[in-house]
Amino acid sequence: MNLCNFIRIVKLTAMIELIILTLTGCQSKFFGMLSPQGIITHVERQLFFDTTALMLIVVLPVIIMSFTFVYHYQVAHRIKEYKPNWSHSTFLEILWWWIPCVIIIVLAILTWRKTHELDPYKPILSNQPPFFVQVIALPWKWLFIYPQQNIATINYLEIPVGQSVTFSITADNVPMSAFFIPQLSSQIYSMAGMRTQLNLLASQTGDFQGMSALYNGDGFSDMHFITHVASQQEMQQWISQVKKSAHPLTNLTYQNLLQPTIADNPQYFSMTPDNLFENVLLIYRNTFGTKHPREQYSMSNQ
Amino acid sequence: MFEQLLFGKLSLAAIPFDAPIIMGAAIFMFLAFFIILLIITIYGKWLYIWKEWITSVDHKKIGIMYLILSGVMLLRGFSDVVLMRLQQALAAGSSLGYLPPEHYDQIFTAHGVIMIFFVAMPMMFGLLNIALPLQIGARDVAYPYLNSLSFWLTFVGAMLCNASLVIGDFAKTGWLAYPPLSELYYSPDVGVDYFIWSLQIAGAGTLLAGINFIATIIKMRCKGMSLMRMPIFVWASLCTMILVVSAFPVLTVSLALLFLDRLFGMHFFSEFAGGNAMMYINLIWIWGHPEVYILILPAFGIFSEVVATFSQKKLFGYVTMVYAIAVITFLSFIVWLHHFFTMGAGADVNAFFGIATMVIAIPTGVKVFNWLFTMYEGRIILATPMLWVIAFFTTFAIGGMTGVIMAVPPIDFQVHNSEFLVAHFHNVIIGGVLFGYFAGITYWFPKAFGFRLDENWGRWAFAFWIVGFFFAFMPLYILGLNGFMRRMEHYSNIMFQPYLITAAIGATMILIGIFLQIGQLIVSIKNRHALRDYSGDPWNGRTLEWSVASPAPIYNFSELPVVNERDAFWEKKERHIAEGRIHPKNIHFHPIHLPKNTAAGFIIAMFAGIAGFALIWHMWIPGIIGFCGMLVTIIARTFDTNIEYTISKEEVRKIELAHLKEMINA
Repeated sequence: MNLCNFIRIVKLTAMIELIILTLTGCQSKFFGMLSPQGIITHVERQLFFDTTALMLIVVLPVIIMSFTFVYHYQVAHRIKEYKPNWSHSTFLEILWWWIPCVIIIVLAILTWRKTHELDPYKPILSNQPPFFVQVIALPWKWLFIYPQQNIATINYLEIPVGQSVTFSITADNVPMSAFFIPQLSSQIYSMAGMRTQLNLLASQTGDFQGMSALYNGDGFSDMHFITHVASQQEMQQWISQVKKSAHPLTNLTYQNLLQPTIADNPQYFSMTPDNLFENVLLIYRNTFGTKHPREQYSMSNQ
Repeated sequence: MFEQLLFGKLSLAAIPFDAPIIMGAAIFMFLAFFIILLIITIYGKWLYIWKEWITSVDHKKIGIMYLILSGVMLLRGFSDVVLMRLQQALAAGSSLGYLPPEHYDQIFTAHGVIMIFFVAMPMMFGLLNIALPLQIGARDVAYPYLNSLSFWLTFVGAMLCNASLVIGDFAKTGWLAYPPLSELYYSPDVGVDYFIWSLQIAGAGTLLAGINFIATIIKMRCKGMSLMRMPIFVWASLCTMILVVSAFPVLTVSLALLFLDRLFGMHFFSEFAGGNAMMYINLIWIWGHPEVYILILPAFGIFSEVVATFSQKKLFGYVTMVYAIAVITFLSFIVWLHHFFTMGAGADVNAFFGIATMVIAIPTGVKVFNWLFTMYEGRIILATPMLWVIAFFTTFAIGGMTGVIMAVPPIDFQVHNSEFLVAHFHNVIIGGVLFGYFAGITYWFPKAFGFRLDENWGRWAFAFWIVGFFFAFMPLYILGLNGFMRRMEHYSNIMFQPYLITAAIGATMILIGIFLQIGQLIVSIKNRHALRDYSGDPWNGRTLEWSVASPAPIYNFSELPVVNERDAFWEKKERHIAEGRIHPKNIHFHPIHLPKNTAAGFIIAMFAGIAGFALIWHMWIPGIIGFCGMLVTIIARTFDTNIEYTISKEEVRKIELAHLKEMINA
């Protein structure tokens, strides 16, 4: 065996190994919808693959036909069949109006059903009552208020496994953002003066990244938070720990939170002002004139 | 006080002397500009440029100027790509890359605005100008002076957008400037105003061009060319222009309202006092969705022409093609909400718009099958325009598929605003629109310039584009499915880095493709005598533009053609084989009336530029001068009644016989 062949074989094996490594390596390294950890995202992933398969019924033949036709009928091949004036066939044209129609009808029915089933506003049916969290997007951090427990956190969200969670979402002193935990839920915009809602149910414990999915200014790339999905017991412990150890969230601390900051570490608050979430909504709804209600915390003042 | 009125917010501090990248780019821009001016002066070509180009109302020359503008802006938009891809390839984990957010955010905004408004749109209008009047057998467009104005308004819009690089900032809002981020409260600098006024001025130009081409297609077709005998490119253009005139006013209004918000503190889109940002987002997409069809429909038209010509066969299913275009035109207006399923609308609304979006896949699929069966049993010549078409089938099929996938609202809840979306729209805009326009440019280049583009360089450019394209965008699909959002300046998860490095490699290959295209242009100009097209019909074409000399004479047709069927020129050639040509001695020539050149379009656009710049910086005196200048020029021009001239019979005969002689000698 000469040297050249040897090098060729080594190269080939290295390449195959590389491919296998990437494939197996990637398996455990999927994030987002490819590695769903909640019942909503499971269905969404399934829907993604179903839709792709449906579309491939047309897309694959198109790609194959495009190459075979071009290859077969090129001038150099001197194919005898040549019909320069053949430009109409009722049968064929009806055929390819109807094939896509049928596929789209199937897809439309699927879409109608799944859109209703996976509507982020729709409560998830389970035997336990839902766990409530209020979310306020702040300049460039997330405030989570747990109204039933009367605690709050910054850039850290803890929710129970196996229990549906209902989020009410708004924003304060930050442009429109989007609340999104890719592995657990859909995304939904958060807007000042408006309340959007989202429901999810986590099926696995663990830490998952949440983020703003919508660009909202300089601090956007760092507007992340950790979502810790815990067992009921662990959750109870964590709540009582926060209640004991942390500082309360007063109106004054909230005013500080309105100052734009980037990449904040998690913070915990043992108490929250009454109706903070509703009041934030009302501030925007009740402000008239030309001055922004948070003018004194403006990003441009920084 | 006076200084305030004269200079507004503008001061020397607006020029970022401390930013090396920006200053480098600025110096490069000025150098290039200065060198061009120097060359013109050295060769003493100022009068030539003024007389033959700047004041020209000839659609062919305006088309070429559109293409030049588009090419220059492509380089500017692509330099943004290089900066962004490098940043994202580097800024993983604890690394923050080399661009701060306030700079990176301007770059992706400028990239989007430039590529859509100042690359794709001018390229589209350039091709329309070059080919459309010739295809319908007309001597010019319906309103030649308006055509010149349209171009210069687009040009001024592009220049305003470029000025923001050096004087002040560009918007940091993303290419559609969503409020409340684009409101004065969150974006107090002039960036958004640059965005608003460069788009307003260019948008006005686009709207006028839309009106112009509708009138041209409806009123200027030659005898016998009924609607159903028009080439498909003309049909596609007609539908596109209908979209332009129905959609662009919405853009104008939404940008005007945003400007009122910013200047006078009105609250159309504010977060408080009853404003509603979603109103803007609805409005901008009511324009924005038709806009993407404004880009793709002419490309569909080009594919239809190129496929038929290079398969040497009639286009399959002409009537179905026309209906498919019409259906797409209509549907494009009822799908805008799919751009924001995540705003929190109910399931009924989301499902309706999702399904409406999918329905567009039906007529589009029909068109693809018609193109495929045009090739079936044809004789396919694999010239460069055809290569772009072949690549288009695959890229567009993938892009269309991901489009339908994202039209399913629950899937969109996962991939919306992620790199999956970025990959999708680049997939259809590069793989559909741009490939189509490149095919069109290669196809009609001989008609515009009189010589073909070099095939060999074209093939290499194509190869780098297509391979680079797959490297650049396929990794983005995977990133998007993994929850990687668009517009990230840095990211903590280093698992994403290999994908972004691959994408950067892809972008580099595309850059090489662009350099090869520039090389192709230079080589072709150098070898223009060898590549000269004497026949006027280098591709064995089917439509009327190939029946005249290359480049087309100023009057296009010495005798306005009469058409009896589709593919008029093809049929005429078939008949000539049977009957033989008429001897040139027996042709009778007539004098031809043509519109005179006018500087009015250029002057109005320059005043519009002054007014736009003044409004951006709140310079009220120059603003008033700009507006008054526009008005006075428009009115003054209406008093000019001497707007036509005549080319004598002898001159027409001379030009035509010279062409015939060339044809016979070749």
